[in-house]
Amino acid sequence: MNANTPGADSAADASWEHILELRRKRPRSGWIRASLWVACGLLLTAWTTTGIRMQDLFGASRMERLDRFLREDAMPRPLRDGSGSLWSWMAELWHSGAGTAMLATLLIAVLAIVLAAFLAWFFALLGARNLMSAHPFLPHATADAKSCPQTLPRIARAIRLLCVLLRGIPEYIWAFLLLAMLGSSAWPAVLALAIHNAGILGRLGSETVENLSPAPLRAMTMMGASRRVVAFTAIFPLSLGRYLLYFFYRFETCVREATVLGMLGVLSLGYEIVEARAHGRYDEMLFYVVLAMLLVLAADILSDLARRWLRRGM
Amino acid sequence: MAKAPAIPPAPLTPSRRTTILFGLALVAVLSFLALGLQWGQLLPHGGGVEIAGNFFAAAVQPAFTYEGSDFLPADAPAFLLKVGLALWRTLLYAVAAISLALVLGAVFGVLASEGFWQGRRGGAAVRLAVRWFMAVLRSVHELIWALLFLAAIGLSPAAAVMAIALPYGGTLAKVFAEMLDESSPAAANALHGLGARPLQVFLFGRLPRALADIAAYAFYRFECAVRSSAVLGFFGYTTLGLYIRQSFENLHYREVWAYLYALLLLVLALEAWSSQIRRRFVA
Amino acid sequence: MSSSPAFELAGVQVNLGGRPVLDSLDLRFVAGDMVALIGPSGAGKTTLLRVLNGVIAPSRGHLKMFGQNPADLAEARRRHLRADVGFVHQDHSLVPNLRVLQNVVAGGLGHRGFWSSLRLMIRPVRADLMRAHQLLERVGIGDRMYHRTDSLSGGQQQRVALARALFQSPHALLADEPVSAVDPARARDMIALLTTLAKEEGWTLIASLHDVALAREFFPRLVALREGKVAFDGPPQDLTESAAEAIYRLDG
Repeated sequence: MNANTPGADSAADASWEHILELRRKRPRSGWIRASLWVACGLLLTAWTTTGIRMQDLFGASRMERLDRFLREDAMPRPLRDGSGSLWSWMAELWHSGAGTAMLATLLIAVLAIVLAAFLAWFFALLGARNLMSAHPFLPHATADAKSCPQTLPRIARAIRLLCVLLRGIPEYIWAFLLLAMLGSSAWPAVLALAIHNAGILGRLGSETVENLSPAPLRAMTMMGASRRVVAFTAIFPLSLGRYLLYFFYRFETCVREATVLGMLGVLSLGYEIVEARAHGRYDEMLFYVVLAMLLVLAADILSDLARRWLRRGM
Repeated sequence: MAKAPAIPPAPLTPSRRTTILFGLALVAVLSFLALGLQWGQLLPHGGGVEIAGNFFAAAVQPAFTYEGSDFLPADAPAFLLKVGLALWRTLLYAVAAISLALVLGAVFGVLASEGFWQGRRGGAAVRLAVRWFMAVLRSVHELIWALLFLAAIGLSPAAAVMAIALPYGGTLAKVFAEMLDESSPAAANALHGLGARPLQVFLFGRLPRALADIAAYAFYRFECAVRSSAVLGFFGYTTLGLYIRQSFENLHYREVWAYLYALLLLVLALEAWSSQIRRRFVA
Repeated sequence: MSSSPAFELAGVQVNLGGRPVLDSLDLRFVAGDMVALIGPSGAGKTTLLRVLNGVIAPSRGHLKMFGQNPADLAEARRRHLRADVGFVHQDHSLVPNLRVLQNVVAGGLGHRGFWSSLRLMIRPVRADLMRAHQLLERVGIGDRMYHRTDSLSGGQQQRVALARALFQSPHALLADEPVSAVDPARARDMIALLTTLAKEEGWTLIASLHDVALAREFFPRLVALREGKVAFDGPPQDLTESAAEAIYRLDG
């Protein structure tokens, strides 16, 4: 442009001022801004005040220890002292309990996730705000909440709080507490997984029910169907697909968690891992870790296939 | 919360529904039988009855001061301060771990995504390698990683952070890659059409589009990391798990509940925070 | 310059999914041409525009953009050719969660290297800001520069997309159903804006339109496609009512 004429110059300056003005007045969220600051503060504190120093991992003595661990402790016994073949060593471990432990881990996860899904289905219905209101599925139900009876919404709130309680406490802590009460069987592990996942699936299920398209549900209620009828004849079939997607997603994490719950003393892979470690048999420990890894990978693939199958709808 | 499925499921036919539900019930019953479980074991027995009774009775009156101060060292901090410090350390371990996991997840998530390799060569091989590497990282549970680190290099806060960061990084990478690939390609295609290079198309077309989902999922994983960091206490790190275990073994159930409620409050606060952020992100 | 060909198609055929979508097209658009593409859905209008943009390579025949055949060029040169063609998509194709400004300056990516484009997208310099603002003023939404793109209405987003194309300083503008998502009055405004800009800038403008009346009113040349073939090519007054009906007739 013609930068020499003063008129053009001042016009350019004026529009630059206007741009700056627009920029100053740009819509922005104080919340996200504040969150970023808090996140930066937390990051800084976490890396400076807690004694977490990554160079710790690479110190000379650590490296020496790691070297010994990899060369001696973790080296499978037949490779270390040349006694027997690697294959027969693995077969021996497999038959002396590893195979059973692997199966038990899988079964614990399967039983737990089915129990969790069953329980969570009721949480999902009882926690769904659209179903649990005085006038289900009507848009004004939340608008004039004051004049409506509040019993059902209160139940829904209580159920949602219960779900927070269940999922807020990690599986491992549930299992630790239950083990002391129930003694050693697979139940503490199964229940711990079921409780935690019921909390998660309950919440996800409630969201699924709330996000259903309201039109068919509203039509049913207006024709006089009770909540129970709507829940079983409409909500259940409509939400099952999505619920199953969540189910398989959680199944995968259940298998993953089941591998470690054994560390508390239930017979599963985790138990074999800590036992081997306690006896200083690190080679065996590593073997069990690899088994756990393979099991989780298999569950991962299985869950992926199941979800793909659900989406394709054959 | 968890990652919402971007691609909705296909509708289920009634017969298929029955098959699925029946099949699931069947495998559950078979698992029950094969594990040798009995319903009777569900009720506490022996010493368990007393523990259960006392434990659940303590739920309504969590401790605000030490229960039984007989064996307390003279310089022990006030109980609530101890709870607060344990909670704070739990949070900070989680922050450190998730920050490392985010770096891992971002780098490998991008490398594992299809969109990043559009218009370049060598994508298939790198993607396959990265995906397997990430699958291995995440299929070893963080507690197993912690044990491996303990065995290989001993107790160190950095090892605890790494134990969480490795599997979380693997999960984040997988999900980030999916989110990058599932987000709408319209803007990316337009940038390609106006002559942008593949890297520019990815950075300014695909990445910003997926960023809201990525941020929401990262925050959810942060909540999970807080729980994992609490559990790491069971292995001797000074997070909540350590004190829960100690108090439980000393039969101080009211103290246990104080720790549990503290953890719950933190989780609730984080959930509230993340839902506030998400509401603003999805304008 | 005014009669040099902007786009030349010779025997262009495009197969998608094993089916010819465009069938031996011979077309010539010179600089300054203003053309409306009409024809029923599925006639191949979008595909033709994408071929002209250089993102779809013809299966057979060849295309010349500004005298050069993109198939003969290295990828970098092909990118530069594409950078000279603005494209307004039917679905806007903006990044919804970025600000309007960023979507507009993205139009400059084709001419920039990596670091310069980072600068452009994250903290544009004064000259880029001034230009973006000036272009937004020109399409009538200057005060929305710093708003989130998805907070704008559909018609306004279409204008953002147009401003992005303007930011490219293109020689030609292709528009795919630019008014399919807005009401008739706004559609007229948008087409008027497009044709005015094209005249002022001396662009070759090729826009596909559903609305034949609108096409007749604003464009001196109509090209009708039917089943991938040219069914009509000429000024609007030559397109008789019965011919137009034949183009849109449902039976094969």
